[in-house]
Amino acid sequence: MSRRIRITPPRPERLGPGQKKRGPDAAERGIISRSDWRRPSIRRSTRAIHATLLVLLVVAGLGPLLWLLKASITPTQDTLRTPMALFPNGVDWQNLATAWTTIHIDVQFANTVIVAAGAWAVQLIVATTGGFALSVLRPRYGGVVYALVLATLFVPAVVLLVPLYLTILHPPLIGTSLLNTFWAVWLPAGASAFNVVLVKRFFDNLPREIFEAARVDGAGSLRLFWSVVLPMSRPILGVVSVFAIIAAWKDYLWPMLVLTVPAIQPLSVRLPALQQTIELDVYLAALAISTVIPIALFVVFQRFFLRSAGLGGAIKG
Amino acid sequence: MSTLERPAASGIQTRRSPASWVRRGGLSTLLFMLPLLVIFGVFSWKPIVEAVVMSLQKTNLVTPATFVGLENYIKVFSDPQLGQAVANTLYFAVLALIFGYPVPLVVAVLMSEVKRMRGLYSALAYLPVVVPPVVAVLLWKVFYNADATGPFNTVLSWVGIAPQPWLQSAATAMPSLVLEATWAGAGGTIIIYLAALTSVNPDLYDAAEIDGANIWKKVRHVTLPQLRSVLLVTFILQIIGTAQVFLEPFLFTNGGPANSTSTVLLLIYRYAFQNSLGGNYGAATALSVLLAVFLAAFSLVYFRLTRSWSTE
Amino acid sequence: MKSSRKAVAIVAVGVFSAGLLSACTSDAADDGKVKITVASLIPGTEQAAFDAFDARVAEFEKANPDIDVQPVEYEWKATTFTAQLAGGTLPDVFRIPLTDGRTLIANGQLADITSQVEALPYYDKFNPSVLETAQDDDGNIYGIPREAYAIGLHYNRQLFEDAGLDPDSPPTTWDEVREDAKAIAEKTGQAGYMQMTQNNTGGWQTTAATVSRGGRMEEGTGDDVTVTLDNDATKESLEFLKELRWSDDSMGANFLYDWGTLNQAFAAGQIGMYTSGSDIFTSLTRENNLDPAIYGLTAIPISDSPDAAILGGGTLNVVSAKATDEQKDAAVKWIDFYDVSKLVDEEAAVADARILADQDQAVGTPALPIFDQATLDQSREWIAEFVNVPQAQVSYFAEGNAGRTIVGEPTAKTQELYAALDTVVQAVLTDQNADIDELLAKANSDVQALVDAG
Repeated sequence: MSRRIRITPPRPERLGPGQKKRGPDAAERGIISRSDWRRPSIRRSTRAIHATLLVLLVVAGLGPLLWLLKASITPTQDTLRTPMALFPNGVDWQNLATAWTTIHIDVQFANTVIVAAGAWAVQLIVATTGGFALSVLRPRYGGVVYALVLATLFVPAVVLLVPLYLTILHPPLIGTSLLNTFWAVWLPAGASAFNVVLVKRFFDNLPREIFEAARVDGAGSLRLFWSVVLPMSRPILGVVSVFAIIAAWKDYLWPMLVLTVPAIQPLSVRLPALQQTIELDVYLAALAISTVIPIALFVVFQRFFLRSAGLGGAIKG
Repeated sequence: MSTLERPAASGIQTRRSPASWVRRGGLSTLLFMLPLLVIFGVFSWKPIVEAVVMSLQKTNLVTPATFVGLENYIKVFSDPQLGQAVANTLYFAVLALIFGYPVPLVVAVLMSEVKRMRGLYSALAYLPVVVPPVVAVLLWKVFYNADATGPFNTVLSWVGIAPQPWLQSAATAMPSLVLEATWAGAGGTIIIYLAALTSVNPDLYDAAEIDGANIWKKVRHVTLPQLRSVLLVTFILQIIGTAQVFLEPFLFTNGGPANSTSTVLLLIYRYAFQNSLGGNYGAATALSVLLAVFLAAFSLVYFRLTRSWSTE
Repeated sequence: MKSSRKAVAIVAVGVFSAGLLSACTSDAADDGKVKITVASLIPGTEQAAFDAFDARVAEFEKANPDIDVQPVEYEWKATTFTAQLAGGTLPDVFRIPLTDGRTLIANGQLADITSQVEALPYYDKFNPSVLETAQDDDGNIYGIPREAYAIGLHYNRQLFEDAGLDPDSPPTTWDEVREDAKAIAEKTGQAGYMQMTQNNTGGWQTTAATVSRGGRMEEGTGDDVTVTLDNDATKESLEFLKELRWSDDSMGANFLYDWGTLNQAFAAGQIGMYTSGSDIFTSLTRENNLDPAIYGLTAIPISDSPDAAILGGGTLNVVSAKATDEQKDAAVKWIDFYDVSKLVDEEAAVADARILADQDQAVGTPALPIFDQATLDQSREWIAEFVNVPQAQVSYFAEGNAGRTIVGEPTAKTQELYAALDTVVQAVLTDQNADIDELLAKANSDVQALVDAG
C-alpha cells in the first residue's frame, strides 16, 4: 500500500513592519552612518574612492581576460612584437577554428565536461546517501564513521598523492589498472569530507516531525530518502554541485598523473603540454576557449556563485 | 513506533540476530552508508594509512616493498634541496600573506559601502577566481615574457620603467608567482569578507557613533573585532593552502631559475614522479607525512593561541 | 518491513552481477594469432603520421598472417614511464633511451631476446658500442638499437642572412659561435645562441658542451664511479655561456627552456643557434611547423683537446618482460620489419620511405649509424628519390664529424646529475654574480653523495 506522501516545505519567515532584515542586500547601514552620508565631503571622497576601486577592479579583474580575447584573434607576430596594440594587422579568426578542429581542443573540452559530470555525480551520491545515513538513519556506528570522515579534513591532499596513485594502478578487487580511465578521476573525487559535512549538517536542520510523519505513513528508508529528504535539500545540493563542478574543472595535478593520453585528457592537463607544439596565436585561442564556459556559467549564475562562496566562508568560519 | 529513535530502556527485549537486524532496517542503513564507506575507504582512509606505511618502506613498484624504518626520513632531511624548498615555501607563504591578506580586506571594506551596483564590483572581483587556474598561470606566463616586447614589460615602458626579468631571475621569480596567485585568489577572500561584513550588526556602529567615533575608529573598534573569527580562519586556511603550493612553481618555472621557486610539494612530486627509472615513493610519502604533521601541529598551536582572541 | 526486503533484494542482485562480471573478464577465445601491442607515435601527432604507421602495420600483417599487431600511442616521459610499467599498460614493444637500458635490464623489466636477435641476418654488423647498451654483463641481449644520434649545432639560416652572415659557412669553433651570436643579436634582436636549461635537458646539453671541450662528467664504472662534473671543460663551457649572456647580451631575455620549448622557439625564428640531438628535424617539422628552408645543421665545434669528442645517444627497441616466447618472436620480427630492415634491405627502405613521403613526413633526417657509416650511406642512397630533408643544408654535420670520437652519456645517476647541472646552468644565465666554481663544487659533492649511496 503506497500512498503519495505530500510534503509542504516550511515557508520562509516574513518580517513584520519595522523589523530590520539582515543580509547583504538590505543592510540599512554599514560603517558610514546616515548622517555621515549627508556630509558632502564624505560623499565626495567615498564616491571618488569607489570610482577608483571600480576602475582598478576592471583593469585587474577584466583586463587580463580582455587581453586574452584580443590576443586569441591576433596573429602571433603581432602578439609578440606589439602585445598591447589593437589589431595592427587585422583580425585572425582562423585561430579559433584551428584550435577547435586541427588541435582538437573540442576533444579535451568534451573530456572536461565528462570529468566534471562524473565527479559531480559521484560526489552527490556519496554525500547525500552518507549524509542521510549519518543524520537521519543514525546507525550505532555512525559516530565512528563521522569522526573518521572529519579526520580526513585535517589531512592535506598531498599525503594521499602517491598511495592514491598506486591504488589506481592496482585497485582492490578489480583486476586492471584504472589509469587512463575516467574512473581514476571520478571515484577519488567522491571522498570529499567537506561535502559530507555540509550535507549532514543541512539534514540535521531538517524538521524531524516530517520524517516521523512519513514513517508513520509507512515509508521505508529508500522512500524517505527519495521522496522526502532529497526534495527538501535542493539548496544544499545546489551548493555542493557548484563546488563539485568548479573543483573538477580546475583540477590539474591529479588528472595530469592519471590521464596521460591526450584523447582522454581534460583541458587543464592538455593545455600546458600543447604549449610546446603549437603557435602562440592558436595557443592563446585555445586558452580563450577554455575560459569561455566557466565565465559564461559565472555570468549567468552570478548570484548563486557569490552566495555559495560566501556560504562556504561562513561554514569555514 | 518509530524506528528512528530507540528508547533507552525498552520493555521488550529484541532478539539480536542477523534477521532481526535486517528487519530493523540495519541492512538498508548499511546500503545507504555503502557509497560513503567504499569511496572513503578505498580512496581516502586506505591511502592515508598506506602513506604512513610507505614512508617506512622502500618501494619501486616492481619488487616487493621492504621495510627500512626511518631511512626515508633521514634521506629527506639530508637532501640538500630540502632546505631550499622549505625556505622558498615559507617565502611564498609570507609574500602571499603580505599581498593577499590585507588587500582583500581593504577592498571588501570599501566594497561594503557601495550602495549601487555592488553586484558589479563583486562580479569583477570574483572573475579571476572563475578562470581555471591552469589557464590563469599559462596566460600570466605569456604576460611575464622577459623580452622588452613582452606584455607586462611593454606596459612598464609606458611609465618609463625598464623591462623586468620576471620569471627569469631568482630575485623576481617568486614575487611574480605570488602576484599571479594573489590575482587568482583574492576574489574568493573578498567575497567571504564581504559576506561577513554585511552581517555585522548595525546597532554596534550606532553605539560607536554615540561614543563619538569617526569612520576610522569605527573600522578599528567595531568592524575588525566583529570580523575576527573570519579573519582568523582565513589566515590559517591561507597558510595551509600556500604551504602546499604546486601549480604555480610547476607550470611557471618548474622550480627554477636555479631552484629559487622550488617548494615542498614540488620536491614531493619530483621524488615520486620525475625519475623515469622508478620514483622514490618512500621519500615522497615521508616528506608528505612530515608536511602533514607540521601543518597539524601548526594548526593546533594556532587555535590554542587564538582561542582567547576570537569572539565566542 | 518493506525497506528491509528491498535491501536484501538489492544486495542479492549486487552479488549476482559481480559474479557475472568476474566470469566475463576471463580471457577471450584465441583465434590462433599471436597478438603483440607495439608503440606507435607520440600522442597528439598529426593524423597523417598515424596513417603512415598504420600502412606499415598492414604491410607487416600481410607478410606475417599469424601475427596481429596493435599499435598503441606511446611517448617516453619520465613522469609516466614507471607508472605504465607497473600498471602493465606499456605496449609489448616499446622504446627507451640508450641510457635507461642497463637499469631496466637490472630491474628485470625487459625480455631476454638474445636468441631472436642472434638469428637476425645482420646481427654481426651492429656497432658494438651501441649494442652493448642493450646488453647485460653476461652479453645477453635485451634490446635492438633503433637509431643513434649525436649532438649537433642547429642554426637558423634566415637569421644568419639577416645578420649578414653566410649560412653556407656555419661556425666551426666556439669562438666563431660567439661572434656569430653577437652579430645575430645586434642585427636582428633575436637571441643569437641559446642552450636548454630545464627538466634535465640543461645537464644534458652542458654535458655535450663539456665533452666537446675534452671533459667527462664521470670516471670509472660499476660500483666505483667518481663524479667529475667540476672539471675544467665544464667550467669553460659555463664561462662561455656567462660571456655570451652578460658581456655580449646575445642570448635574449628568456632562459627557461627544455627540449620541446627550445625547438618551438627555434622554429618560431627566435633563436639563432643551439645544440641538440641531430635527429630533431622530424620533430621540428612535424610538431613545430618549421619551414625547412631556414634549417641548418652543422657539427658541434670541438676544442683541440685530445679528449674532445661528441656526445651521442640513441633509442632502443625493447620487449616487455611479460611477453611470452611467441610474442618475443613476433616482437623481434616487427622490430626488424619496422625499424631495422630499412637500413639493410633496399626493398624495405624504399617501401618505408615511399609511405613517409606520401604523407609528407620527413625522410632523410641526419642520423648516426647503428651499424657502420657505409651501411647508413647505402641506405640513404636507396631512398634518395624520397628524401625531402634539404641535404645541402645539413651536410655540414656529417662532414664536420668525420673522424671524431663519439662518447656515451654518463651512466651513474644520470638524471640526478643532469638535474644538478640544470640548477647550475640556470644560475649562470640568470645571476650575474653566480660563482661558477662554487656552484660546480656543490653540485659535484651532491651528486657524488647520491652515487655513493647507490
